[in-house]
Amino acid sequence: MMIEKTVKIINKAGLHTRPAATIVKLAAKYKSEFYIYRDGMGINGKSIIGVMTLAAEMGSELKLTFDGPDEQQACDEIVAYFERGFDEL
Amino acid sequence: MIRIDQNSIKRKENINVKFLYENAKNICKLKLLTNNNDFEKKIFDQNLHRPGLALAGFVDLFSYNRVQVFGNTEMRYLEQLSDDKKAEALDRIFKFNIPCIVLTDNNEPFNILVEKANFNKIPVFSTSYSTTKLVYLLSDFLDDQFSPSLTVHGSLVDVYGVGILFVGKSGIGKSEVALDLIERGHRLVGDDVIIFTKKGEGILIGSGTKIGKHFMEIRGLGIIDVQSMFGIRAIRYQKRLEIVVELETWDENTEYTRTGLDEKTITIMDVEIPYIKLPILPGKNITVISEVISLNYLLKHYGHNSAKIFNERLNEKLKQKNNLDNRGVEYFEHDFE
Repeated sequence: MMIEKTVKIINKAGLHTRPAATIVKLAAKYKSEFYIYRDGMGINGKSIIGVMTLAAEMGSELKLTFDGPDEQQACDEIVAYFERGFDEL
Repeated sequence: MIRIDQNSIKRKENINVKFLYENAKNICKLKLLTNNNDFEKKIFDQNLHRPGLALAGFVDLFSYNRVQVFGNTEMRYLEQLSDDKKAEALDRIFKFNIPCIVLTDNNEPFNILVEKANFNKIPVFSTSYSTTKLVYLLSDFLDDQFSPSLTVHGSLVDVYGVGILFVGKSGIGKSEVALDLIERGHRLVGDDVIIFTKKGEGILIGSGTKIGKHFMEIRGLGIIDVQSMFGIRAIRYQKRLEIVVELETWDENTEYTRTGLDEKTITIMDVEIPYIKLPILPGKNITVISEVISLNYLLKHYGHNSAKIFNERLNEKLKQKNNLDNRGVEYFEHDFE
């Protein structure tokens, strides 16, 4: 099964380089495939260039999908990071 | 298999006239003739329309939501009408929500046309190109705009003129292979995020994204800018996709092709692309193999299929009675080297 979650960017600076790097690092710990979608563009959440390409500013919505043996843990940790506003609130 | 997500296939529903004007102005040599314009008017169709019949009075099945092209026929027809009739003919088609009009062949608009167009806020352009040429250029532009496109995670490299897309799990070494290929004189189209657009039937053109163009991440090193580092010869903006190479760690249970006679393909947006699965093993130089993949593709393209030729040789040999394989050369004539 695959988990799908929609998240919103809530910090002022948006998804800039530092959070992008953190997301990629978090994702790399897990075996599951992790994809991020924005306006129909899907990128691999384990690729820093990909995550930066999203250029997701404050207020934008992203769809996250997790697929693999540890998808629940991966989803929990990464979604929590989005919800904390990348620890920038 | 690589992940082709149907949800990631995007298709523009419409473009507005402003976008058309800004982007096709130079390509089609468009000159704006009206001054009261609604640039928000939408174009929904890549096809163009010549409204000859509609101007003459037959408006059933009038494809009004396309760009309207007024060529010599339309203009000569309108010009020979009396002013009242001109107004009537134009009113007939301006009742519909026409996005815009292009006059070809340097046709000058008569006053009533400009007045009526301004009143209805329909942008009118003129071009020096002939109708045939304008139709060709504008159709190509619109075709591209309305084509489906797909984002794929991988690296696209031009190797000896053949577009190879490397796919595989994150961290398998796609970027490293691409970097190695660049070092050997091949050209990078994009790394990590590649957008493919369908061009006509059976052709996929790939390019990087606006922001990620020619940047690359190397694990343990970070982000590098390939264009500044290796120069213009190391990059290109777009390339036709010709082969998909999937890199994966060696898996005992997967069968890898040994002869190359069974050619696998992958279907991306209804286009069949040759597909090769490459296991990564110690001592295996993926870069050199990639070059060989390209050269083999080119050989096949020029009618030389190595696997088939070997197969034919074998079949020939099998037909002979005394078929023990022997030296490739019968007699080494005074050759002591």
